[in-house]
Amino acid sequence: MFEINPLRKRQFFGILIGTTIAITAILCLLFVKPAEEYLSIGPMNTGHEGFSCNTCHADARGNWLQQIQSNSEHALGLRKKMVEFGSLPVNTKKCLSCHDRDNDRHPTHRFLEPKHLKAIQKIDATNCATCHNEHNGIRVSLTQGNYCINCHSDTKIKDDPIDVPHSELFKKGLWTTCLQCHDFHGNHQAEAALLMKDTIPLKKIKAYFKGGDDPYKGIKKFKALSEQEWIKKYLKK
Amino acid sequence: MKTFIFLLKKLFSFITLSLILISCGGVPEETSSTNSEKKSFSVADVLTMVAHENDITRTLYTKAIVGGGKKQGFKFDEDWQDEKVEAGPLPALFLRGIANDIRKGDVPLGLYLSSDFPINASNQLEGKQADLYKDIKENRKPKHFFDEDTKLYTAMFADVAGAPACVSCHNKHPKTTKTDWKLGDVMGTTTWQYPADSLSYTEAMSVLKAYRDGTTAVYNDYLEEIKNFKESEKPEVGKKWPSNGKYLPAPEVFIDSVRKLSAYITMSSLMK
Repeated sequence: MFEINPLRKRQFFGILIGTTIAITAILCLLFVKPAEEYLSIGPMNTGHEGFSCNTCHADARGNWLQQIQSNSEHALGLRKKMVEFGSLPVNTKKCLSCHDRDNDRHPTHRFLEPKHLKAIQKIDATNCATCHNEHNGIRVSLTQGNYCINCHSDTKIKDDPIDVPHSELFKKGLWTTCLQCHDFHGNHQAEAALLMKDTIPLKKIKAYFKGGDDPYKGIKKFKALSEQEWIKKYLKK
Repeated sequence: MKTFIFLLKKLFSFITLSLILISCGGVPEETSSTNSEKKSFSVADVLTMVAHENDITRTLYTKAIVGGGKKQGFKFDEDWQDEKVEAGPLPALFLRGIANDIRKGDVPLGLYLSSDFPINASNQLEGKQADLYKDIKENRKPKHFFDEDTKLYTAMFADVAGAPACVSCHNKHPKTTKTDWKLGDVMGTTTWQYPADSLSYTEAMSVLKAYRDGTTAVYNDYLEEIKNFKESEKPEVGKKWPSNGKYLPAPEVFIDSVRKLSAYITMSSLMK
């Protein structure tokens, strides 16, 4: 009754051995650094080149089998909460573990204030990824350069030092000109230009956003932690 | 018969697969110790407690460090973290620093400073808060409410000009929108927000700790700034205060003083 054709039997063992070898090979490849390039959904952004996946993608609790079981239990109503599968989501807090600094002109947490509620509905400045979406091989992923309008449309400058007053620039809707003097995070030790002709051309700023040379003169006030510094600070305690 | 065997095999495979899956036990449910703890405090009580702690801290900083320090020639500036500026944080910036530090941690506590005549336009009172502020300005009593926009429990407290330095700095500031502030005036509000209507003892303590840690962090930042002074005279940091000369209290001395001054009300709130 349970007799199996010997050919079938050989075929079955062949498939079993082949599948085992394939799964083992894939699993081994998944955890070696050179394979990360192929697993990545896109090139790392400027400054993040050469990072290990684990620098940002921390492992979720439990192994895959445990995670499948827990989420199946949740689907059947046997568990209150789902668990993360594979790795934990990369959030702003993760970015700030390397990029946080006290003198940030626009820190993400400032936009959590109720008065910014309307602005963050237009542009979620509480989240780094809104402007710096990873795996794009660039520095700034936000394509528009006129985002200052969301909060500064009624800004008034006393004793305006520039030859074309800010009020006039606002009136004309020239919101991309802001970046020609001011970098969003205020991370450059540089003086703003006093003449419009001396400001940084928008073309250069756009090239910088795409990963090009830094057009803002002066040295950077703050440098983010390198991967090694991050490991030293957070993992080797 | 064949169908029966086929079904039996399927059932066997299903049971085996299920056993493999459940044999690993799943990921343990996250059980926060605070979840099971009794919610002993209303959010209004906790925010009142931490607001009092904030009043003590700011008053001490404004009077003893800024007021006393200015008499010794210490400088305080809104751009105190600018590389070219050798100064300490003005009281409003000191509070902003504390609020920033709280936001970096895991306690979901918000702290904001607003006014009807702010120096910085982004601190302008708006909407419901502007309406409630009219009452606060009149009777100086706090307002507790649930903010529908942010879905957060909110408390607003009168921010009174408690030291001559508050009045003189705000009146003389180049960007000021009001030049006739007087000592004792309500200059604005400190607004606090928290996402739950009640807190356990552990959560209440976490709120208090987040505030105190924020104070320590900003005060330490100020002392770090002093270390980098190139042209200005560096005050001696230790046990003495600016009232004794060119001195600044060490962080533990400053924090201990805040604790001593706030202890009675803080403990009374926690022992309720």
